[in-house]
Amino acid sequence: MKVMICPLNGPRNISEFTYGGEFKPMPNPDTCSDSEWAAYVFNSEDTLGVVREWWMHTPSSYWFLAERHTVTDDIIRTFDPRELFSTRVEFTAAQPQEIAG
Amino acid sequence: MSNLHAQPLLDVGALQQCALIDLTALPRIGFRGTHSADYLRVRGFELPEAPNRAVLQADGSQVARLSQTEYLLLGGLADQGQRIADEEVSWELDHNANYLLPRQDSHAWLQLSGACISEVMAKLCGVDLRPEAFPVGAVAQTSAARINVIVINLGPIDLPRFQLLCDRASLAYFKAAVLDAMSEFNGALLEPEALRH
Amino acid sequence: MSLPNRLPAPMGLLIDRNQPLTFSFDGTAYQGLQGDSIASALLANGRFLLSRSFKYHRPRGPLSMAGQDANSLIQLPHEPNVLADCQLLTQGLEASGQNFNGSLENDKDAYLGKFSKFMPVGFYYRSFYKPKGIWKFWEPIIRKKAGLGVLDLDFKPEYYDKAYLFADLAVIGAGPAGLQAALTAADAGAKVLLVEQQSILGGSLNYARFDIDNRRANTLRNQLIEAVQAHANIHILTQATCNGWFADNYLPVIQGKRLYKVRASQCLICSGSFDQPVIFRNNDLPGVMLTSAAQRLMKLYAVKPGKRAVVLTGNDDGYLAALDLYEQGVDVVALVDLRSGPSNRDLLVALEKRSIRCHLATTVYEALHDKGMRHITGVELRSITGQGQVAGHGVTLACDLLCMSGGYMPVYQLLCQAGGKLAYNDAAAEFTLSGLPNNLGVAGSANGRHTLDNVLADATNAAATALTALALPCPTQQSFKAEARVNFPWPIFPHPKGKDFVDFDEDLQVNDIINATRIGYRDIQLVKRYSTVGMGPSQGRHSALPTARLVAASTQRSVSETGITTARPPFEAEKLAHVAGRAFDPFRQTPMHAQHLAAGAKMMPAGIWQRPAYYGKASERERCMQQEALHVRTKVGLIDVSTLGGLDVRGPDAGELLNRLYTFAFLKQPVGRSRYALMTNEQGVVIDDGVCARFAEQHFYVTATTSGVDRIYQQMLKWNAQWRLNVDIANVTAALSAVNLAGPDARKVLQTLCTDIDLSSAGFPYLGVRQGTVAGIKARVLRVGFVGELGYEIHVPSRHGATLWQALMNAGKAYDIRPFGVEAQRLLRLEKGHVIISQDTDGMTHPDEIDMGWAINRSKPFFVGRRSLDILQAQPAKRKLVGFTLPTGSPKPLEGHLVLNGPDISGNVTSCEHSQTLGQIIGLAYAAPEQSTPGQQIPIRVDGGLVVQATVVQLPFFDPDNQRQEL
Repeated sequence: MKVMICPLNGPRNISEFTYGGEFKPMPNPDTCSDSEWAAYVFNSEDTLGVVREWWMHTPSSYWFLAERHTVTDDIIRTFDPRELFSTRVEFTAAQPQEIAG
Repeated sequence: MSNLHAQPLLDVGALQQCALIDLTALPRIGFRGTHSADYLRVRGFELPEAPNRAVLQADGSQVARLSQTEYLLLGGLADQGQRIADEEVSWELDHNANYLLPRQDSHAWLQLSGACISEVMAKLCGVDLRPEAFPVGAVAQTSAARINVIVINLGPIDLPRFQLLCDRASLAYFKAAVLDAMSEFNGALLEPEALRH
Repeated sequence: MSLPNRLPAPMGLLIDRNQPLTFSFDGTAYQGLQGDSIASALLANGRFLLSRSFKYHRPRGPLSMAGQDANSLIQLPHEPNVLADCQLLTQGLEASGQNFNGSLENDKDAYLGKFSKFMPVGFYYRSFYKPKGIWKFWEPIIRKKAGLGVLDLDFKPEYYDKAYLFADLAVIGAGPAGLQAALTAADAGAKVLLVEQQSILGGSLNYARFDIDNRRANTLRNQLIEAVQAHANIHILTQATCNGWFADNYLPVIQGKRLYKVRASQCLICSGSFDQPVIFRNNDLPGVMLTSAAQRLMKLYAVKPGKRAVVLTGNDDGYLAALDLYEQGVDVVALVDLRSGPSNRDLLVALEKRSIRCHLATTVYEALHDKGMRHITGVELRSITGQGQVAGHGVTLACDLLCMSGGYMPVYQLLCQAGGKLAYNDAAAEFTLSGLPNNLGVAGSANGRHTLDNVLADATNAAATALTALALPCPTQQSFKAEARVNFPWPIFPHPKGKDFVDFDEDLQVNDIINATRIGYRDIQLVKRYSTVGMGPSQGRHSALPTARLVAASTQRSVSETGITTARPPFEAEKLAHVAGRAFDPFRQTPMHAQHLAAGAKMMPAGIWQRPAYYGKASERERCMQQEALHVRTKVGLIDVSTLGGLDVRGPDAGELLNRLYTFAFLKQPVGRSRYALMTNEQGVVIDDGVCARFAEQHFYVTATTSGVDRIYQQMLKWNAQWRLNVDIANVTAALSAVNLAGPDARKVLQTLCTDIDLSSAGFPYLGVRQGTVAGIKARVLRVGFVGELGYEIHVPSRHGATLWQALMNAGKAYDIRPFGVEAQRLLRLEKGHVIISQDTDGMTHPDEIDMGWAINRSKPFFVGRRSLDILQAQPAKRKLVGFTLPTGSPKPLEGHLVLNGPDISGNVTSCEHSQTLGQIIGLAYAAPEQSTPGQQIPIRVDGGLVVQATVVQLPFFDPDNQRQEL
C-alpha cells in the first residue's frame, strides 16, 4: 500500500485518505459560457505527467493538495491549501434579495 | 470476539501487562479557532507547541493539539475531570474565534496500558506506534479497526499507556475489537478504579 | 534407536533422532522423526512416489525438497494441496495422495500418458467447444480427470488475523546474503526484520557445498547465525513467507495463521535462486531430482536419496554435490557435465581420486524406468554435438538417483512485482535485474553473485546503500572477484518420443512450447495463456527460463527480447483465511440502543448505524409498522433520530457559508427559526437535505441525512479551504442524541418535562427552534413537520440520550405513548409526500424534477450548483417525480419497478407502501412530464410482468393543507 505524507499528520497509508478530485479553478459562473462550465463540471484532463489533486486525511478531516505524477505514481509534494487560497473569496454578482421570515 | 469481562479489582499487574479501561464517563472537551490558544493560556493551560503533540498538565489533565487551531482537553483523575467540566460550563459563544467542541459527547475514551500496547495497536492500526516512532508527547489521528481514532501517548514511561478516543457511537464495536486484539497478551478490561492506585 | 535409512550426524540438521513419530500415507503406516517433512519421512522409508501429474497422471516424486514444485502436493484430512516437502510431520498424521483413479501406486488413468500426442496443448479448447454448449458436458469429466485435492466442506473456521510490523530494513531471505546484510545493518543501528521461509536460518549454507574440503559453509553458517540471533536490533521471523511486494515496501508476510503487514523504510531481497532442471526424456520421474534436493535430503533430514547416483550438471556445483553423495555412502556412478569440463580443474582431480567417472560434453538423453514408471532404473548418456543435439548412440548406466542442475534462476518474483526489469545476459546465460525502486535492493545469488565471498560483499554493499538512505553510518564498499559461469546456456535435449518436460505442473513438453509459437503465439504472455506454462502451483520457478529460451529460439529472437511473463503476487499459494484475517465490520449504536432492545425492537442497518425497524416480531413487520404509524397519527409516538446528521456552523460568516452551500437563502433567517435546506452539487444534482436552525446570530445548526452527513461535512470543509470564510464547521452527529416526539398529544407530553420554553402554538410555532431544558437536560428543540403531525425534535448531548428517552416514555405513559421505528417513519413521511434523498432521488435528480424549485433562491450571488441549474432549467424537463395511488388489494409495486409510457420506459418506482390511514397503496415514481398531471393513469410493470394502472395524485397524500403539523 502506498504511503502519502499528510502536511498535518505525516506519512500515512493511502487508505487513510479520501481522494477529492483533480484541482481545477472554477470559471466565473456568471460570465463563462455553457460549454466552459460543462467542461469544468464534467471533463477530466487525464494528464500524462504531474497533476494537482485534492486529498483529505479522513481521520482528521484535513484537506490538502498533492502533486502527483500520473505515470510513475510518485507523489512529488503535498501542501496546505493556504498556499493557493490565502484570502477570502467573494461572490458579488447579483444583489441579494431575501425576505426575512 | 473476546469473552473478557470487567474486573473490579485493583490489579496493578494487569495494568502493567495489558489492560483496557473505559474512561468515557470522565469529562473532556475541545476548543477550536484562531483565538483558542490565547483563551486556553489565559485559563492556565500549558499548550503543545505543534499539532499532533500533547502535554500533561500539572493537575493531571491532558491537552492534545489536533491542528493549528484545535485543542482537545482530557480531564484528570485527581479531580475526576472537574476542571475540564467547569471549562465546558463557562464557555460562551462570543465574537472571538474560539468554538467549543463537545468531545465528551462525540468521543468515547479508552485507556490502553501495559508493556505490549504498541503490539496490540499494530493489530488494529497501520501507524507505527512503537516507542521509538511514537514517543511520549505524540498524538496520532488515524484509523484503527477501520474507524477514526485519536491516539495520545503521555506516558509515563514506567507505565506505557495510550489514550484512545473514538466515535462515541462506535464504543461497543471498538472496545470489542481492542479486547480481541489484547487477548493474545492476556489483556484485561479493568474498572477506572484500578487507576486510583 | 536404530534408523537404518538415516545417515549419521552431522547430517540431519532439522531432525530429532530421539523423537520418532508414526504416520500413514495412502493407508500404509510409516515411521518418521520429529523435524521431518512428510516428504523426507516418506523418502527415509524408501517411498518416492508422492503424487500423480495433473494431466497424464505420471508418477512423481520430490523435485526440489523446498516446496518449490507441485510434485509433492498431497491431501491431508482437512486440507488439499499441501506441500509434502514443507509440511512438518506430526504424530499420527494421516496423509494421502491426490489426483489418481484407484490408488496412487496403481493409477487407472496412467494410460492417459500414452495418448499425450492426441492431447496437445490447447486440446481442451479446440476439441470440446463445438457444438455450442458441449463444454458443459465435458467439463465435469475433464475436471475430474485433471483435478487436484478434495475440499473438506465440514471445515471449522479457525482464528486467523493480521498485524502490522514496522522495521527500518526488512531483509527477505536468511541465507548467507540475508544474514550478512541484516548483521551489517543492525550493527549500524538499524532495526532489522529478517524473514525466512524455512524453519532455520542459513539458506544454502545449510545444505550446499562451497568448496572441495567442505570447510567454509559450516564455519560461516555458525558464525553468522550466532551473531544474528544474539543481535538486539534484529527481529527474526522463520517459517514466514513474504508473499508479495507492494508500493513503498508494504510486504505481506505470512507466518502460521497470521498475515503480517510489514512496512519497512528499506527492503532488501536476498531470496536466492532456484536450482534449474535439465530437460530430457523422462526428466520428471521419481528418482530424478534437483541436485540441491539431494543435498537438502542428506544435510537437513539425514536421508540417503539413493544407492547409485548419476549427477548431471552444467556448473561446478554438481561436482561438489557428487562429493557430498560420495561421502554419505552413495555410489556415484558418474558425473555428467554438459560443459567440456569444470572451470576449477581441482574438481576433476578430486573426483578422479574417488574413482568417480566424469563424462564431459555429455548429457542424459533419457531416464530409464521400470514398467510402472515408479522409479528410474538408469540413464542413457549421449555426447552433445550441438545446441540441444546429441550423438546417435550412447551408453546406458544403471542408477536409482539422478541429480540435475542446469543452472540457477534468480528468485525474481518480489523484485519484478516492484517494477524490476529482467534482462538476459548472454555471456552468463542468466537473467539479471535492474530498475528497482529507491527503497528496494537485492543481494546474493538473486543478484547473480554465486561465490560466497562475492555474496557477502554484495550483501554488505546492499546494506550500506540501505543504511545511507536511513541516514545511518555505513561500511565501505567491498569489491568483487571474477566468478565462473553457473548456467549452461542450453540444457534442453528434446527427444523424438517426447516426455521431455518443461513444466512439470502442467505436463508440458518441449514440443508443446514450440507448437504454441508455430500456431502464432509468439509473445511470451500469449504462449503462457495458450499452453498454460507457468500457471501451475510452482508458477514457473522451473519452467520460465527454459520457456524463454525455447520461445526465443523458435521465434529467432534473443532471450532478452522474449522476456518472461509478469510476476504477480502472491509468491506462493496463500489461504483465503490469511487474506480475510480478522474481519472489522464497524457499527454504530445510539445511546438508546439498549432501551430499544428491551422494548423488543427489530434492528436494521442504516448505513453503519443500527436502528429499530419496528418494535415487535420479525413475522409481524406489516402489522407493527401500520400500528405504529396509526398511533402517531392518532395519539403520540417517539422515535430515536440520533443517527440524523448534525453540523454546528458558527462564526461571523456562518450564514454566508450556508448561503453558498445550500440552495435557499440564510443570511436573513431570523434567530429562533428553521428553514428547509437543500443541497446540490456542482452538476446541479440534489445530494442532501435537512433543516437549518438558527440558534444565534452566529450559530446555525444544520441537519443532514444519516448516510450523507460525513460526505457533506467533508465537502463543506473542502469548499471553505478555498473560500476562507470566518466560520467553524463541526460535525456533531454523534455528540447529539435526538428524538422526534410526534402526534396530536406531543405537546402535552413535552409540557410535563419542559417548563422553560413557551410551548404554546403562538409562543413556539411551527418551524420555530428553541433552546431550553427537557427533563432537566439542556436541549435544542425544533418544531418540524417530520411525519406531518405536531412534533418536536429534541436534541441533547449524547451522554444524556438514554435519560431523555426514558423521561419521555415515562411522561408519555398517560397519553399511551409508544416508540416507532424506521419503517413506520418512512410510511408516515411517504404519506406526507416527503422525498427521501438517495431513496427517491438518484445521481441525476435535479430540484425541478422533485418539485423543489421553491427551495431555490436565485437572487443570491452564488451557490454551488447554481450555474448548472440555470442550464438545466433552460432545457425541457425529462421526467418528474409523481405521487401515485392504487387501491388496496392491487399488486403492490416495489422500488425499482418500471413506469411505462407507451412502448417506452419513462421512469421507476422509488417508494411504495400500503397506508392503513389512507386505505390505499401510495407511492412515488419517476414518470414522463406528460404523465405527471394529477388524475392521469400511469402503467407500472410489477412482479411477473403484470402491468397495473396507478393514478397520479397531488402530493401530499395525507393532510394536503398541512394543518396537523402546524397545530
